[in-house]
Amino acid sequence: MSDINLELNKISMRFGGNQAVDHVSFSVTKPELIGLIGPNGAGKTTLTNVLSGMLKPSSGTIYLNGKRIDGHPAYDVTRAGLGRTFQITRALGRMTVMENMMVPGLALKPNARKADLEARAQEILGMLTIEHLTHELSRALSGGQRKLLELGRLLMLEPSVIILDEPFAGVHPRLQETIYKYIFRVHEDGKAIILISHDMGAVFELSQRLLVLHNGALKERSGCNRRLPRP
Amino acid sequence: MVYLRQIESRIDQGIGRRRLGYIVLGLIILFFLWFPNDTSQSNYAKTVFISGFFYAIMSSSWALLAGIAGQFSFGHMAFMGIGAYVAGLIARDGIMFATLGIAITPESFSAIGSIIIGTLVAGLVGLVIGWLLLRLRAAYLALFTIAFSELFRIMMLTEYDYTGGSNGLSLRPLLQIADVDTARQVEYYLMFALLIVCLLVMHWVANSPIGLFLRAMREDEDAASALGVNVVRYKILIFVFTSMIVGLAGAIFYSDVGSERIIPEQLEVLQMSLIIAYAVIGGMESLIGAAAGAFISRYMLEAMREVVISLPFGLTTADGGDAFVWETGAWRFALFGVVMVFTLRYMRNGLLYPFITWFSGRDLAMKETVSKRDGDGDDIVEPMGADDE
Repeated sequence: MSDINLELNKISMRFGGNQAVDHVSFSVTKPELIGLIGPNGAGKTTLTNVLSGMLKPSSGTIYLNGKRIDGHPAYDVTRAGLGRTFQITRALGRMTVMENMMVPGLALKPNARKADLEARAQEILGMLTIEHLTHELSRALSGGQRKLLELGRLLMLEPSVIILDEPFAGVHPRLQETIYKYIFRVHEDGKAIILISHDMGAVFELSQRLLVLHNGALKERSGCNRRLPRP
Repeated sequence: MVYLRQIESRIDQGIGRRRLGYIVLGLIILFFLWFPNDTSQSNYAKTVFISGFFYAIMSSSWALLAGIAGQFSFGHMAFMGIGAYVAGLIARDGIMFATLGIAITPESFSAIGSIIIGTLVAGLVGLVIGWLLLRLRAAYLALFTIAFSELFRIMMLTEYDYTGGSNGLSLRPLLQIADVDTARQVEYYLMFALLIVCLLVMHWVANSPIGLFLRAMREDEDAASALGVNVVRYKILIFVFTSMIVGLAGAIFYSDVGSERIIPEQLEVLQMSLIIAYAVIGGMESLIGAAAGAFISRYMLEAMREVVISLPFGLTTADGGDAFVWETGAWRFALFGVVMVFTLRYMRNGLLYPFITWFSGRDLAMKETVSKRDGDGDDIVEPMGADDE
């Protein structure tokens, strides 16, 4: 039980007559990298929104690091240790890249020294190869750079569980490589990752375990032959 | 243009933009401190300046609420009115808690005491409205606050037994100085001091972590929430804070400092639109820009009441005068509208934004980014992803 980071018990989400998520149960231990796949409309994003506190589930319970979080507001779930990215990037457009990084930093560590947080942010931006954009407004960034910024903001949260929603969508192959490295590094740091992607190659390559959603229900769980980490 | 660039370069290498900005700001403050001591200035001119300071507080606090926190509210004048009306009613009638059998007589309240209570009540109503607005965004938020504002105005207009209806309500005078000239001078400094204090406090909030969270909330509430920001708390906080600021400004201004009575006409949507227009013209994402926009707009609207055009070449008007006098009437507002349209179309960040950006050195940081990009071009991956936002 102590190794379990995230545990879902019969989570359901209904919008009127539409059963978007149907009694989904699974758990994530650390450090584990899980692929969550399914066709469009399968309920992947809804499940992500339920997990991250954006939506209150119709029924079921969610525990994160032993704390019950279902129905809690998103900021509370984040502070409890769950970080997420969005399918369509949501950079804070009229704020600089550094300010984007400082929002999670200061929200989670209000008493930390600003200089320390900025140094940490700079280090993360360096890892993501966008440190030269520190003072740029994030609306001036390209789509791929915004993806990297979202990943950087996640690290400022220091979450124990990370949900990556379509991190490779519409991204140049060279930038994909950076995201790959990011995922490996974060995973090696001991964080649990749930990877949602339509890029089957990437999911099969990265995941240790696969969950398949179909019409809101969990249809299949299977192991994956994950390759050795890239250098 | 080349000459301008040379000057810019010399400033960057010498005194620095930011320091120059502080010097310019200091000179502006010195001018305002000197102005009432200029014996050639009439009391009317000082009254125009006092009104300008009041509207500068209104617009800059609205800029904090809407421009920085993203809460596009039309209720700002109503909160100002709440501060003023509550201060006036308490100073006149006192407070009675009928159920508790407690009555506090009006004599128990000084003018300052009634202003403080007016400010607190404005903050309390801001708390309730902020809570009711939690789930409303954009147009719905604006419509809700218009409805609230109109509701309050009609209450003040209809309950004339208590509020004086369209005749308005006189507040207890804050200053009791017999000499008119001295009174105007003290009122001028009081309102100017209030503006400076409000701007400093708002500047502190805007540049603190709270300001960072407010801007994150403005950009994307869901994303801010996912980054650990308690959106509900900051949304309510900013409503309470700005309501108290305008409540205080209203209670002081109408305590015979800028005006001798508050009238419901001041709470009309049109008046609120002017506050918004001043902020937009100055720059609604900048407190100093919005304040300057309000002050300059108020001054220009007054100065343009009568436009005198001297006729050249010995020409005379039909009645023999050497100057053409145009009583602009409502046309000055039409011209103001043209400025507003120009600003929204070509300079959405406000007419003062280029100056603020230049003095702050923000464009230097951007140039530095571009130069780094040019230098390290080989390392930068140009993604193929759609730039969808």
